Amino acid sequence: MIARADETCSSPYLARIEGQEEFLYTWTLGVEGLGDGSDKLVTIDVKPGSSNYGKVIHTHSVRGRNEAHHGGFTDDRRQLWLSGLETSRIFIFDVHTDPSRPRYVKTIDNFEKITGGAAGPHGVYALPGRVLIPCLSNAKDHSGRTAIVEFNNEGDYLATHWLPTKDTAGITGAEFADGYCYDARVLPRKNVLLTSSFTGLKNYSRDFSDLAKDADAMKEFGSSLALWNFHTRQPKKVFQVLGAALEIRWAWGETHDYAFTATALTSKLWLCYLDENGEWQAKDVARIGPEGGVLPVDMSLSADDKTLFVDSFGDGKMRVFDVSNPHQPRQIYEKTIGRQLNMVSQSWDGKRLYFSSSLLAHWDKTGVDNEQFVRAYHWDGKELKPAFELDFTALKLGRPHHMLFGSTQVGG
Amino acid sequence: MNLLKYFFTTSLTIAALNGAAWAADLPRTTDHNYEAPVPGSYKLPIVKQAADGEVLNSEGRPLRLSELTHGRLTVLSFIYTRCAAAKACPMATGVLMQLHHLSAEDEALAKHMRLVSISFDPSTDTPDRMAAYSALADSSKPAAEWRFITTASQEKLRPITDAYGQAVDRKKNPQDPTGPLNHILRVFLIDRDGNIRNIYSSGTLDLRLVLADVKTLLAEQPQ
Repeated sequence: MIARADETCSSPYLARIEGQEEFLYTWTLGVEGLGDGSDKLVTIDVKPGSSNYGKVIHTHSVRGRNEAHHGGFTDDRRQLWLSGLETSRIFIFDVHTDPSRPRYVKTIDNFEKITGGAAGPHGVYALPGRVLIPCLSNAKDHSGRTAIVEFNNEGDYLATHWLPTKDTAGITGAEFADGYCYDARVLPRKNVLLTSSFTGLKNYSRDFSDLAKDADAMKEFGSSLALWNFHTRQPKKVFQVLGAALEIRWAWGETHDYAFTATALTSKLWLCYLDENGEWQAKDVARIGPEGGVLPVDMSLSADDKTLFVDSFGDGKMRVFDVSNPHQPRQIYEKTIGRQLNMVSQSWDGKRLYFSSSLLAHWDKTGVDNEQFVRAYHWDGKELKPAFELDFTALKLGRPHHMLFGSTQVGG
Repeated sequence: MNLLKYFFTTSLTIAALNGAAWAADLPRTTDHNYEAPVPGSYKLPIVKQAADGEVLNSEGRPLRLSELTHGRLTVLSFIYTRCAAAKACPMATGVLMQLHHLSAEDEALAKHMRLVSISFDPSTDTPDRMAAYSALADSSKPAAEWRFITTASQEKLRPITDAYGQAVDRKKNPQDPTGPLNHILRVFLIDRDGNIRNIYSSGTLDLRLVLADVKTLLAEQPQ
């Protein structure tokens, strides 16, 4: 089986696309007064040669705004789960029967109750027969204290694992444990799960310019990475990582025991790695952008582990780092993608990158800076060349966020 | 038959298992390079009820799948014998073979564990073919029961694969050297009451993890 497509950030347990990606599923936040004003799943045709290439071919509105944010497939790639950060609803779609027209199946609308109070489901990460959902908050006080939650592929609740705090016994670095979460990613070969940390509902649902002036609120951002024994779901070690580490990207190489993350508030690139003594460590390895910070957000690591694409919301730039030596990343390219920038999805062969603009409804820029787009590029190893772009405001769709690849050709 | 070559290699691995009854004693591999968990130090929540269905044993006798998913701890592996993908069915069968071998040295495993290989390719994996496949279960010592199962037709198979989430599709190229079917690798750990307690795929199908999970469930109080 040749995997030329599929996103490099996918769960290692996920069934792979064969050939090239054909559809770009884009989870989109509704905007009041724009179109139907609701969150929606937008399907874009990205099949080369298609008469609809670069066009929206299907939408499904979920009728209402939930702070549509991230999602993910079940491991067989037959279902796509999409989450809402404010309502904690999860919308489940069938993307197997007709991948060009995702079919709504059902909604999990009792998430907070059934999980014992976890709130703000952030991502959906495929595991064998189940999904792992890292959350951002809790129903009790809406702080960043939160959990990772498991459901089976049928949508039944399985377990809640609260992030460690200073009081959690038996972990190294407990003094750094803040109980916060953001992303959760597994390195199967070493049986480790790594989680990062952001902030809670009371912060991410608040207007950013207002939030930034509130010194007390700004203290309630994550400052940790937590390493877990994946099989037993037990945290083992916590690292102090100041400035809200967000997306985690494990390297793919068979002996590459490391992962990258970036801190949104301090604009640093961090490396979590296995040292020569077999101990896991974490350190910052590069600054992203100029002094003052650029709010790095999403990132994508190439399948050969040599190139890291880092998006920054603050200046709308995508920066490319040579990470052949992960301990000494070196920026080799940058390009302004838009006035604001968040997500990036990269094909497995590294030749195509897709970008979207929205971060959070209350944090997106205003006025002319509030561009809402999906922009696709070809990457030849040296520069990005435009492939297509879609103006989501002009199309009356909303704020595009997470993009995931779909195909009619799915392997094992 | 590629399988014979694979299982010969597995037999050499089995030779290395002699005397290793504890997950921690078993060797690490490059695909699973970590310390094995201590059985009983963690919990395995119920994932879902193991589905029932109409199946055939290797003598062609009909039975209910639920007869093979209750009463013992069952490791149930969906396979098809034409699969030649190294990290798919041959690997799964290799792990079951290793569990079978270990059970010959472990009375608790022999008494309380059951292994089931069930085909999702009934057109080729007839009862006779599964009977031939069952030669893998030969043991000079009493070991865990290992059953080789198929179904009478796709119509009988489909409700089972759907319920277990065993995705199977035909490849575009039926002559693909790794086999004509696309499928997710799925191995299930089922408790005495027929509840699925873990699901393994290629990234998590480590003999040591399965063994630790079996022993974790063995230590649970009977329901």
